[in-house]
Amino acid sequence: MADVWHHAWLLARKDLLVEFRSRTAIVSAVVFTILVLLVFNFGRDPTAVAAVDLAPSILWVTFTFAAMLALNRAFQLELENQALDGLLLAPVSRSSIYLGKLIANLVFVATVEAVGLPLFALFFNVSVVPVLGPLLVVIALATIGFVAVGTLFSAMTGRTRFAELLLPVLLLPFMLPPLIWAVLATAALLAGRPLSETAGWLRLLAAFDLVFVTLAFLLFPATVNE
Amino acid sequence: MRLLKTGRWIAIVGLALLAAVYVRAIAFTPVERMQGVAQKIFYLHVPAAIWTETGMILVGVASIFYLFLKDPRLDRFAEATAEVGMMFGTIVLTTGPIWGKPIWGTWWTWDARLTLTLLLFLMYVGYLLLRGAVTEPGLRARYAAVLGISGMCLVPFVHLSVYMFRTLHPQPIVLKPSAPSLPGAMLATLAFSFLVFTVLYVGFVTQRYALSLLREQAEPHA
Amino acid sequence: MPENTAYMVTAYIVTAAILVGYAVLLYRRTLKP
Repeated sequence: MADVWHHAWLLARKDLLVEFRSRTAIVSAVVFTILVLLVFNFGRDPTAVAAVDLAPSILWVTFTFAAMLALNRAFQLELENQALDGLLLAPVSRSSIYLGKLIANLVFVATVEAVGLPLFALFFNVSVVPVLGPLLVVIALATIGFVAVGTLFSAMTGRTRFAELLLPVLLLPFMLPPLIWAVLATAALLAGRPLSETAGWLRLLAAFDLVFVTLAFLLFPATVNE
Repeated sequence: MRLLKTGRWIAIVGLALLAAVYVRAIAFTPVERMQGVAQKIFYLHVPAAIWTETGMILVGVASIFYLFLKDPRLDRFAEATAEVGMMFGTIVLTTGPIWGKPIWGTWWTWDARLTLTLLLFLMYVGYLLLRGAVTEPGLRARYAAVLGISGMCLVPFVHLSVYMFRTLHPQPIVLKPSAPSLPGAMLATLAFSFLVFTVLYVGFVTQRYALSLLREQAEPHA
Repeated sequence: MPENTAYMVTAYIVTAAILVGYAVLLYRRTLKP
């Protein structure tokens, strides 16, 4: 069991090192985040629309894009030079490969979110600090949810035609529920509503994560076994 | 080929019976007082919705068995059910807004069933697109099975959350498309309609399954 | 009682069209080799 985690961490490290050395994807994601935040801010009439009404949706649009960017690239590394075969031949379990990819993707998305959240608070003038704890929990749970499913699906779409189009299409029905719960929870938190109101959404997010991380773990071998 | 012909006959019988459903629903079922004649859309909408959702569950179950047993018949069944399920989903997504407009005053609402059906429809589309994008049959069956199982697992979450959503944001309308308790004549019509939709499901899936089989037999395996 | 027969008729026609249309689609697919 410890081996699985150890291998997973090694694999994740490899992916992250490759990514952070080239830095292209992370820079694109961060730039996009800033762009979206700026555009939405200039696009609204401050007297007509309160920032706090629009804010949750905008926040999650940017985070979702960052996740899609990470996921599209997830298995691209392995497509070149048939590196995936090399991985499969290595003495690591399939579960480690999935876990490694998941960790790498999560770190990528978390980095973008770590940059995005403060910028968001700054541009939209929403007070994030009083609800920071619960907000971080919401962000973490939702992110884990769609990255877990996305990592599984990207293993399948990588080798198909129109891979970059297919992945978002497949992912859409699975991203909508956690995304909606996250937006509702974020909206409730930023509006200063009592914590008990967010509890329902948090429970759904946690249940979703539990089910789908386990499911992805169990199904991943079916996507790579010959 | 026998299976195809059987399926075709079942479907034809189903369509003939559908005409009987139409007659019964329109002429021999009482009109609902509050909603008027438009309420009769219910008799088509609900059975279609039941089969849309059941279809997804069947795809999921067939997929689980496929991953363990690797029997191509299960994969063919999943493919057939997915296509037929998507077709029923189209009926729900068209009759729903048509019903909603006169009753709710709006074409769309995030009503439990419509939202669930929309997501189911998107899942079916994704499932069929994935199948279309993978050419190698073994790989295609495995990938489809993974997606099918994932889809089936999503269904309870959507159910739960849509009902939760409704308790926090009550519907702005008074009337709901489904009555929990129906007078006898209406219940009978609904039951009859559901029976006919079941016959149609069986007929269509049988034909679609036979089609897959025929296609595989026509192309020599690599 | 509200007057909304047109909606009912439309829905019934659309449903029949989809079902019959699918039946026809399946039939035509078997004709192509």
